[in-house]
Amino acid sequence: MQITIAEKPRMETKETKPSPSVLEARGITKRFPGVVANDNISLLIRGGEIHTLLGENGAGKSTLMNVLAGMLQPDEGRILINGAEVSFKSPIEALEQGIGTVYQHFTLVPNLSVVENVVLGTSRGMTLDLKKAEEQLAIMQSHLDMAVSPHEEVGHLSIGWQQRVEILKVLYRGSQIVLLDEPTSVLTPIEVKELFQILIRLKADGVGVVFITHKLDEALDISDRVTVLSRGKRIGEVGSHELARQERESLSRKIVRMMFEECDLTEVHRKSTVDFENQRMCRLNEVSAFDDRGTVAIRNLSFSIRAGEIIGIAGVDGNGQKEMAEVIAGQRRISDGQITIANVDITNKGTAAAAHAGVGYVTDDRLGEAVVPTLTVAENAVLKVFQQTPFSRFAVMNHKAIEAHTRGLIRDFNVKTPGSWTKLGTLSGGNIQKLLLARELALRPKVLVCNKPTHGLDFMTSQFVLQTIRSQADEGMAVLLISSELEVLFELSDRIGVMYRGQLLEIYSRDEVDRETVGRLMLGIKS
Amino acid sequence: MDADRMLVFTSVLLGSGLVASVPLLLAALGETFAERAGLLNLGIEGMMLIGSFVGFLAALNTESIYFGLASGLLIGMLLGFMFGLTTITLHVDQIIVGLGTTVFASGITGFLFRELYGRRFPSLSVSIPKVAVPLLSEIPVIGPAFFKQQVIVYSTWVLVLIMAFVLDHTSFGLRIRAVGESPLAADAAGVNVARVRYCAILIGGGLAGLGGAFLAVGDLSFFVPGMTVGQGFIAIAIAMLGKWRPRRVFVGALLFGILRSVSNGLQILHINIRPELTLMLPYLGIILALVVLAGRTTLPAALGIPYQRGER
Amino acid sequence: MRRGALIHSLVPLLSSLLAIFGAFLVGGVFLTIMGKDAKAAYMLLATRALGSSFGITETVIKMAPLLLVSAGLLIALRASVWNIGIDGQFLIGAGAVGVVAPRLAGVMPLFPMLIICGLTAFVFGALWGVIPAILRVRYGLNEIITTIMMNFVAIYVTSWLVKGLFRDTSVVAPQMPSIPKDWRLPHIPLTRIHVGVVVGIVIVLFLHFMFRRGTFGFSLNVMGLSRKAAVHAGISVDRLAILALLLSAGMAGLAGANDVLGVKGLFQGEWNPAYGFTGFALVFLARLNGLAIIPFAYFFAFLLFGGEMMARTAGIPVFFVEMLEGLMLVFFAVSVYFERAVLRKVVQE
Repeated sequence: MQITIAEKPRMETKETKPSPSVLEARGITKRFPGVVANDNISLLIRGGEIHTLLGENGAGKSTLMNVLAGMLQPDEGRILINGAEVSFKSPIEALEQGIGTVYQHFTLVPNLSVVENVVLGTSRGMTLDLKKAEEQLAIMQSHLDMAVSPHEEVGHLSIGWQQRVEILKVLYRGSQIVLLDEPTSVLTPIEVKELFQILIRLKADGVGVVFITHKLDEALDISDRVTVLSRGKRIGEVGSHELARQERESLSRKIVRMMFEECDLTEVHRKSTVDFENQRMCRLNEVSAFDDRGTVAIRNLSFSIRAGEIIGIAGVDGNGQKEMAEVIAGQRRISDGQITIANVDITNKGTAAAAHAGVGYVTDDRLGEAVVPTLTVAENAVLKVFQQTPFSRFAVMNHKAIEAHTRGLIRDFNVKTPGSWTKLGTLSGGNIQKLLLARELALRPKVLVCNKPTHGLDFMTSQFVLQTIRSQADEGMAVLLISSELEVLFELSDRIGVMYRGQLLEIYSRDEVDRETVGRLMLGIKS
Repeated sequence: MDADRMLVFTSVLLGSGLVASVPLLLAALGETFAERAGLLNLGIEGMMLIGSFVGFLAALNTESIYFGLASGLLIGMLLGFMFGLTTITLHVDQIIVGLGTTVFASGITGFLFRELYGRRFPSLSVSIPKVAVPLLSEIPVIGPAFFKQQVIVYSTWVLVLIMAFVLDHTSFGLRIRAVGESPLAADAAGVNVARVRYCAILIGGGLAGLGGAFLAVGDLSFFVPGMTVGQGFIAIAIAMLGKWRPRRVFVGALLFGILRSVSNGLQILHINIRPELTLMLPYLGIILALVVLAGRTTLPAALGIPYQRGER
Repeated sequence: MRRGALIHSLVPLLSSLLAIFGAFLVGGVFLTIMGKDAKAAYMLLATRALGSSFGITETVIKMAPLLLVSAGLLIALRASVWNIGIDGQFLIGAGAVGVVAPRLAGVMPLFPMLIICGLTAFVFGALWGVIPAILRVRYGLNEIITTIMMNFVAIYVTSWLVKGLFRDTSVVAPQMPSIPKDWRLPHIPLTRIHVGVVVGIVIVLFLHFMFRRGTFGFSLNVMGLSRKAAVHAGISVDRLAILALLLSAGMAGLAGANDVLGVKGLFQGEWNPAYGFTGFALVFLARLNGLAIIPFAYFFAFLLFGGEMMARTAGIPVFFVEMLEGLMLVFFAVSVYFERAVLRKVVQE
């Protein structure tokens, strides 16, 4: 997680109406095997206010949100609404009490329409009155300044619009408190602004908005109140007076100090002094490919990555980044064009050929694609190379060699695991990611493709991953870094490109572009 | 071969095809609902078989066709409930439980039939009278085939329309569609996923049992161990080919009913083909249909996967 | 072995045994309700089938097709390929041998003749899996329905062949010409058991080793556990799916050869031993583990033989065994549920 401090004016806020809704949490404690996710947390959420829960990944904000939303039951503590104690045994009970949640992974049924999704679960019997629901939706939409057709299939909507449908769903059920879990992680900068407008209108209606994020910038932009969480504890709160009065710079420093008292904030250094003679390690020439559904995913991609260079690819999820990564790794067929790795043509030759030519690929889908959770750490470590010597000979696997190799990886990358033969699924996300990185780098690739390598990781592991990538680049590796977090891209990349609808719109040198320009390109708005 | 014979052949083919399609249609409609809710019921073959046996037994002993049909329906629902118990509440593998149910059904019906009747094969003396629809039954060829049938047959047409309406235009149907596509989203919206699935499997099992009962009681009037010969599985294929839409399932079931009764028709034409060749037709037909219509089938996303809250 | 690992191997075994016990219990209750003497029947099973040399011999003989069928299912199921078409592939393989063997007998020495017959059965069995394999790989069509359909087609095709083209007209009953005694599978010296059992055990052991140490087995495992990961790792899942299905089908065909060459000496009409579902129950209860398949194969062979015996002497229709198998499958599935709960508790400690 990067804490960057940029100078931006705060959002204009309207006058708020006084509201009776108050959600209070007292002494919430929630334990999981081996960790105390929430440790005696108390806070107060008022209607007509945007209250941010700020903390890094692993601080406990998701757990707290799940408790408030009714997904989890706290081990200790109470929840009170307007002074009366309540307890939810399920998210629906919370919803019925007026607490609506917009999760990070949307809970919409893709092949049903907008109005069907909104109405789902509201009527017990057989009758279905879509007309009335449509009318109500229209009223709500005009009030919030939205416009989406009620009959549109939700699966066809953009992520930004799906999120709005989620908000409508929750409002339709009469929620007075709306919890949003990391809502901006999937949005472009412009969509973020639009979301904030909506939240401000909600606030004006007296709704209590709880905004959960790890991004300090946004917290400062939008909040009336910020509660800081770290390591499961409530560290402190920054109230509306301070937010309105104090200078941004000092506020940021104060909050950062609150969060990272014991942590070592090391900056990742960019740019080495070694010049690798501009050697083109990875070259794409007019590459096009289809996605799994048969639509065009990437078209006419042409660019190259030089040795020692990190190219960051920005873009909203689903604009072809994943397919671009898969194509370079040899996992997806190309319909047009060529790909060469260090002058070796690997076009449509498959993953083995790409790996052999020197491509390493760290995918974004850790548990679903990169590993087999029920197999052991060692088996996963050699998942891509088990058919080669020394790991197997004459089609028989050499367990000793595999074990030795795995132990080396575990040691060098500090992967916390009881042993090489434990089930991989028992490891934490951060340790799995470290193992994945170790696995790919062990092949000494010439080109490393990383898709969202720091997603969902805690700060320390995140830093480790980024530092590793940077030092590998410093030694001559060419890196393609795909991420939806602009901070990461701006921190690490030498050049930045933007993917939109399968095309690479522009590649800039890092120094000659700012986030706004990139943000606009992400939405296809060419300057 | 004269024209008259051909017309009679066509009429007989269509008529007996329609009758033969009823068990397939009922089972396929039931499976449509079950699969739309995300349940793959491989026990359907067994449920049909038990429906046949129980229905036959009931009809034989009470001399009432309707009692037989009702028994088949009820036993099918019971079996559906037990299937649901293991797969919905215990989240156990649907394929294994389904196959186990079918094997068990085959065993128990054979056992009981052998015990009760030894090597004899009693047949029903009662049958449902055919009712002619005025005017429509006068149409040449199609008239006597489609519109001079037992009342049950006509009711299945109504059933198709009812089920199509329920799926698309009621909130119950909405819940079923949501649960089969994304149980997580449905759960978050407040839908009781388990309850919806239980309803769906009760319908699935009940209709399978009813279809089996009709086979023994309304169509053939006797029972033989294993008499469903894969029709339950064919029903699954028909549901898939019909994209889980009741009206299309009706067409599919009719086509395969016709294939099943080809041997009847050939007798009219005095054509002597080895029986095995005509008996093969429905199964080859399914494979052919799958090849031809394949690639355009998208299953309900959550089909076959048990749902547990908290497993995100 | 550490405590954790010990528990991890014992618990599945225990739950498989519980599933079997549960099935017998329910079966026993059913028999009692039907007025049969359940205790006597089960005792008969134990003494005659387990206690007499005749019983044991017959059981071991019956193991052979079960071992071969299980070998096939092991390959398919580990790769998550659902080959429900074992019965059809078995019949086609058996039929092929039924046609070929009588013609080869006497024309060439025994050993090459057996090899050729074995290969014929394997190839024809595998051929019966081609269509479902292609449909799965090219069109993404689930092989469950396609293999089941092929079963029925196989029944009618072989019935047609045995009653028509290849019929032995010198006999009344529909069957293909019988194979002379000297040209059938030889027996293990000093016993009546033919070598099919040995072949079966060898193949199963080989597969066990392959799945634990072999790269091919590892690829199949990965593919069965996570298709996406297999693709990511560079494993060609399509090729493997076809291979798994064809090998599985070939094994079923080989089992057919075993029965024709070893037990019956001819291909008989109206014959369908339906080892497929028995094999399914067997392989699942053995947790897809090659070593465990061997004792479980003995158990199921014992069950099949015992079923025939109970039908002859205790008046219990042979369908009873089918009932038990169905119950075992369902109870097995349920036992996995309890197993998961128990293991979760153990992990938490």
